[in-house]
Amino acid sequence: MVAAKKMKKSRELINSRLRLVMKSRKYMLVHKQTQKLTGQCKAKLVILANSGPVLRKSEIVYYAILAKTGVHHYGGNDTELGTVCGKYYRECTLAVTDPGDSDIIRSMPEQTGEK
Amino acid sequence: MGKFMKPRKVVQVLACCYSVCKAVIMKNIDDDTSDRHYRHALVAGIDHYPCKVTAAMSKKKTAKKSTIKSFMKIDNYNHLMPTRYSVDIPSDKTVVNKDIFRDSALKCKT
Repeated sequence: MVAAKKMKKSRELINSRLRLVMKSRKYMLVHKQTQKLTGQCKAKLVILANSGPVLRKSEIVYYAILAKTGVHHYGGNDTELGTVCGKYYRECTLAVTDPGDSDIIRSMPEQTGEK
Repeated sequence: MGKFMKPRKVVQVLACCYSVCKAVIMKNIDDDTSDRHYRHALVAGIDHYPCKVTAAMSKKKTAKKSTIKSFMKIDNYNHLMPTRYSVDIPSDKTVVNKDIFRDSALKCKT
C-alpha cells in the first residue's frame, strides 16, 4: 500500500517535470531520432515506456550506456507517455536534450530504481 | 556524456553484404562531407572467419580453411551497431584515410 502510494507520488513528480520539458521544446520523440541523438550524445536523459518492442528498448538502453546517458523506465505504457507529453499519439521513447527549467535530470538518478 | 563512436571501437556491420560481420572503426567522420551528408566511419572487418579444421584434412586444405578474408568499407553510422568493446591496435593515421580506396596498394597496407 505504501509502495503503491510512493509510486503514484513519484509518477506525479515525473509527469510534472516532463510537462516542463515539453514546454521548453528541447526533446525528441520518434524512436529513430531518439537513437540518433543518443548516438551523438546530445540526449541528456532517455525515457522509455514500459510497453513496446523489447529489442528496440534494449538497443536504446545499450546506446545510452555507451554514451553514459541516464535512462528512466517510465511506469506507464506508451499511451500514457504520449498523453503526458501532450500528444495525441503513443510514444515509446523520449529523449530530453536540454532540461531547461526542469530538474528532471538532477532528480532522475534517485528515482530510476522505481518503476 | 562520452562520444562512443571512436577509432578502435568494435562494431557490428548491419549493411547488406557484410551484415553480422564484426569490424573495427579505423576513422570516424562526424561532419558532413561533400559526397556523404551523414556521419560515417571507415571500418575494417572480417568478412570470412577461418573454418573448422580437422586432423584428416590435407595441408593444402588446412591452409585454405585457415585464411581470414577481411574488408574495408565506409559506412553510415545507422548501419553500424556499436559494442562496448574496443581493440588495442596501433594505427598509422597517415595511412588511414578515404583515399585508400583509390589505390589498392595503400588499401593492403591499411
